[in-house]
Amino acid sequence: MNPEVHIPGWEWYYVAMYFFIAGISAGAYFIGTLAELFGGERHREISRTGFYIAFPLILLTPPLLIADLGRPERFWHLLFYAKSGIPYMNFQSPLSVGSWALLLFGAMAFLSFLDNLVSEGKLQSAPFAKAYSRIPRKWYAVVGSIAGFFVAGYTGVILNVTARPLWAATNPLVGALFIASAASTGAAAINLVMSWRKKLTDPGLPGFDRFDRLSKVLELVLAVALVLIAGRWAAPLLRGLNAVMFWGGAVVLGTLFPLAAGWYGTRAVEGRIPPERLATVMAVLVLVGGALLRISLLQAGQVQ
Amino acid sequence: MPKGMFVDTSICTGCKACQVACKEWNALPHEPGHFRFDPVEKRPVAVNFTGDSYDNTGALGATDWRRVRFIEQFSEDRSRGRWLFSSDSCKHCNDAGCLNACPTGAIVRTGLGNVFIRQDVCIGCKYCIPSCPYGVISLSEATGTVHKCTLCNDRIHNGLGTACAKACPTGSISFGEVADLRSAADKRLAQLKGLGYGEANIYGYKEAGGLNVFYLFLDRPQAYGQAESVVVPQKRLPVSSSVAIAGALALGGAALVSFRERGSREENEEVKK
Repeated sequence: MNPEVHIPGWEWYYVAMYFFIAGISAGAYFIGTLAELFGGERHREISRTGFYIAFPLILLTPPLLIADLGRPERFWHLLFYAKSGIPYMNFQSPLSVGSWALLLFGAMAFLSFLDNLVSEGKLQSAPFAKAYSRIPRKWYAVVGSIAGFFVAGYTGVILNVTARPLWAATNPLVGALFIASAASTGAAAINLVMSWRKKLTDPGLPGFDRFDRLSKVLELVLAVALVLIAGRWAAPLLRGLNAVMFWGGAVVLGTLFPLAAGWYGTRAVEGRIPPERLATVMAVLVLVGGALLRISLLQAGQVQ
Repeated sequence: MPKGMFVDTSICTGCKACQVACKEWNALPHEPGHFRFDPVEKRPVAVNFTGDSYDNTGALGATDWRRVRFIEQFSEDRSRGRWLFSSDSCKHCNDAGCLNACPTGAIVRTGLGNVFIRQDVCIGCKYCIPSCPYGVISLSEATGTVHKCTLCNDRIHNGLGTACAKACPTGSISFGEVADLRSAADKRLAQLKGLGYGEANIYGYKEAGGLNVFYLFLDRPQAYGQAESVVVPQKRLPVSSSVAIAGALALGGAALVSFRERGSREENEEVKK
């Protein structure tokens, strides 16, 4: 580890927010797909909500990525080789492969979004609606989920595959951690939108809640393991604002508290707080925790 | 045949002629001034000193492609001491982290083995910056792209040596075929060992696939601020991505169990009803 390695100067409000929003989108899409493939009729609302969330969110991310470039007008060089205009990919660069994955995921999210509109009858009059409903939605949902996982995970792999001490020392866990966080923030976003649309059925959908819990447990385990394996290089995560964001935000608000609330809290506050209100609060906490996880890891790696 | 440089730090005098020649040939902006007139004190005050001996850059960067390091080694009572100098630059690694990381193909290796950034292709994504294990590249706010030493790409492709080597008055920096430079380096190392410099070593034969710009040091590389075990970041890619995939599979499994079981339980409940 060489502390002289330069910091890239990635701005958290662009890059960490991109990691965060792309994660929610990918997580929501993945949950939507699984609900579509394996869920019963009661899960239909989950999959529909997941697909409604995924596309608008992923649409927000390219501007964030492009804004952080030194030469934003050249963003297309990520996909096409500037000298020849031929599609370009560098397999050793997660940033290069990730750009293509983002494009593929965006396309699949768009198809699923359209499919939602068509099947809800909102696009009945569109000339393509009839033909469109014949395309098997399960196929692009599976392709999109894999691409989505790639998008959620490569953002962490990018950090591991650098020479900055903290990011290198946390290898190989950041990709997996961001994937777990994508699932839990995706689930939180679905919860939030469903409660907002008053579609949260009482007593909820246990399969969905259980998956949500498992993803939070995985996230918690990975977050702690990451600090342990980083050893003395984890120092920037253990002091100052980064420590508050990582431990207080990502670990406590984002995973521990919602997990504890899920196990004990509902009984304690029964009758006093309506369950849908509690679910909304928890979803917001998970989302805040997911954002702080990305911000703290990005910033702690850039402490000089 | 790859070209490179051999930096024999044992005969460097820290004159910084290399730094100046580099700035002149490559038309790089000068350092900020070291004195500023203070209107309150009504006299010039010192600013922009690194506080680190005679080092005036502190780091390599977009406008500092050469940096002369000054290492002061003194005993506790200052009765014994030595002053080490080392002119540092991009090492033009054979396994270059920056080149591997570049998503646009802006960073290329030319036929002479030097690593070169094409300014018209670079988008300023900054991924090469933390990917360089030596902290060489950085972003220029003026161009929005990254810059580093080119090994005087224009000169070496026209039969000239690098500007820094040309300017070096002691022959500490020599330019040439890497193979020739290596044999010269080995000879010089043997000579120094014979003179009693037991800690003398050559840095750059194994690091990052071999460095085309390599060094002879009189002390451990770490004393000169060079990483002793260099890992090219992309070596971590297979494990990092495998663990990410394993994480995705674990979640996929968790989801399968969660949703499937619910489905079957639902059926059971219906049967009971």
